[in-house]
Amino acid sequence: MDTLFFKAALAAYFAATAGYLVSLVARRVVMARIATWILGLAVALHTVHFLEMCAERGLNVAVNLFEAVSFFAWIVSSAYLVFQLRTRTRVLGAIVAPFAVMLMMLASLGAEGTLAIPDALQGRLVPVHVTLSIIGEGLFALASLAGVMYCIQDRQIRRRRMGGLARYLPSLGDLDSINHAGLLWGFPLLTLGLIAGSVWAKTAWGGSQWVTDPKTLWSFAVWCFYAFLLHQRLAIGWKGRRIAVLSIAALVVLISAFIGVNFLSGVHRFT
Amino acid sequence: MNVILVGMNHKTAPLEIRERLTLSCGEGLHPLEELLRVEAVQEALYLSTCNRVEVVARAGDVEEAVARVKAFILRHGNLDAAELEKCLYVHCGSDAVRHLFRVASSLDSMVMGEPQILGQMKDAYRDCVEQKASGIILNKLLHHAFRTAKRVRTETAIAGNAVSVSYAAVEMAKKILGSLEGRTVLLVGAGEMSELAARHLLKNGAGRIIVANRTYARAAQVAGEIQGTPVGFEQLEEKLQEADIVISSTGAAGYVITPPMVRTALRRRKNRLLFLIDIAVPRDVDPDTGRIENVFLFNIDDLQGVVDENVRNRHREAEKAEGIIGEEVLRFAEWYNTLEVVPTIVSLREKAESILRAELERSGSWLRGLGEEDRKNVEILAAQIINKILHDPVTGLKEESRSNGAMPYVAAIRKLFRLEGGEP
Repeated sequence: MDTLFFKAALAAYFAATAGYLVSLVARRVVMARIATWILGLAVALHTVHFLEMCAERGLNVAVNLFEAVSFFAWIVSSAYLVFQLRTRTRVLGAIVAPFAVMLMMLASLGAEGTLAIPDALQGRLVPVHVTLSIIGEGLFALASLAGVMYCIQDRQIRRRRMGGLARYLPSLGDLDSINHAGLLWGFPLLTLGLIAGSVWAKTAWGGSQWVTDPKTLWSFAVWCFYAFLLHQRLAIGWKGRRIAVLSIAALVVLISAFIGVNFLSGVHRFT
Repeated sequence: MNVILVGMNHKTAPLEIRERLTLSCGEGLHPLEELLRVEAVQEALYLSTCNRVEVVARAGDVEEAVARVKAFILRHGNLDAAELEKCLYVHCGSDAVRHLFRVASSLDSMVMGEPQILGQMKDAYRDCVEQKASGIILNKLLHHAFRTAKRVRTETAIAGNAVSVSYAAVEMAKKILGSLEGRTVLLVGAGEMSELAARHLLKNGAGRIIVANRTYARAAQVAGEIQGTPVGFEQLEEKLQEADIVISSTGAAGYVITPPMVRTALRRRKNRLLFLIDIAVPRDVDPDTGRIENVFLFNIDDLQGVVDENVRNRHREAEKAEGIIGEEVLRFAEWYNTLEVVPTIVSLREKAESILRAELERSGSWLRGLGEEDRKNVEILAAQIINKILHDPVTGLKEESRSNGAMPYVAAIRKLFRLEGGEP
């Protein structure tokens, strides 16, 4: 597998992060705008990388953990780019871009890793399950990152620190609507992904052992957590800080489910 | 540099004097015509706003021009000389350029960073062009001033944030709610400041205004002025749930908006963010209300704090702007100085060309013996030799002129080449 575009994308993610950090220090939205274009370039390069991959082996874009992490970074970044078109949240990139860089660095550890899919995970529904789940989780992660910035901005405004950072960070309303969109779109996708996985496990493995698999349980916990958030948000009308704080907690659970628990499960894992 | 600037502004002259000057110039007088009649004034620009009167001119004789422009202001302001001296400032050369650039960039304005002055200066320049009062220097100078103002505006945040309380309210509303498109504003009680803030909010996209007052008639009156919906005070609780921004300014002694009221409203509006602005003294909104999640309460002091912070920020940005202006003044001076060597360069070329023409004429007899083509080639060759020889001294002169050190060279060239007059 040629990793040229992957490396180029990694470099561009780095450049975007640097741009956002400079804009934070200099407090200039113009810099953030430039950084957003660089992030767009990073996503474009990353997309080419995935297209190459698809040309080689079909829609199997996340065979091992490292590829899954790279795909995760791609989803978070591209979803952010789409959402920021509708809201004035360019500076949110200052959290999204470093997050993507961390994921990409993790992914680069295994950029030329194993491509063998274990026999136990051969099946048409497996890539569907993996892809949909990662997209859903990526959108959740974005909702949570918006929550992080919401908490910072809320604190600035409540403490009447209107001079520096608050002047520059996006508005609470816009951050909240990114959180809303992330939850709203992430939830059905993750649900479909989990259903695909369950159907496949039921038919391929039979029995009920897969139900008590640690990764299945963690994933279900993530799903429940976000289902709770979305329910509170839509039905009860939780908004703003409360949802933001809970979203951050949900992100911690999500990351542990995604990466940490991967090593606890015997079969149900990325190699 | 023969540019002079004579003027007065809100810092140097009291309103009554500025007023007199502006009035007398408004009455069908043509200040530019009058200024251009002065022999020492070759180009002139007359800028008059409520905060300043400035005359910019290219002078033949600087001292003479300054005196005549002063006299002009004296006459129109009906001032006595002592009064005038106190109010006027006179800048010459680079200082005049710097002052003009500072004015254009709104560094010299009463509210630093306000954008009107640039438009006023453009109007003044338009008059100046229409009356053919501007020439090469003022044209360049004004365009340079406009460009500098644009640079300051884009490269610094000098015009960045609100510096009035009612605008600060709009700014905070945007920071909290995001877009104001379609938001509902509730005015509780009415006062000048809250009406002004409501107008600003409307201009920034707010969709609907509700006016609540203790007396319905007064509510209806205010609502009529700002196209709002009037309601009585008894509907306050109900309307609180529709509003995204509440501006309260009643004369009530106690709290008009209390935490239980807001909690109920918030529950009904599914916790959508609510921005409460309390500009009443004594306060209308119980301060505890601000502790409720998703409710943001700003009182008059908080808003003033925002304004103060913004003013401080503008002053910080002004330092950056001064740097930019310094650069641009230098750049203009460079251009101006190259202008000083232009006549010498022109006469140098003219002299060389006249020599060429004379020599070709003298050699006419044997040149005619050549074919048409060869004759042309000889002419081209001679012209090229002249260009090559002149190229270095001309570039050298231009380079020296940028650092304002060209005069000795100009003198030397004029003397050595015996250019007319021998002296620059």
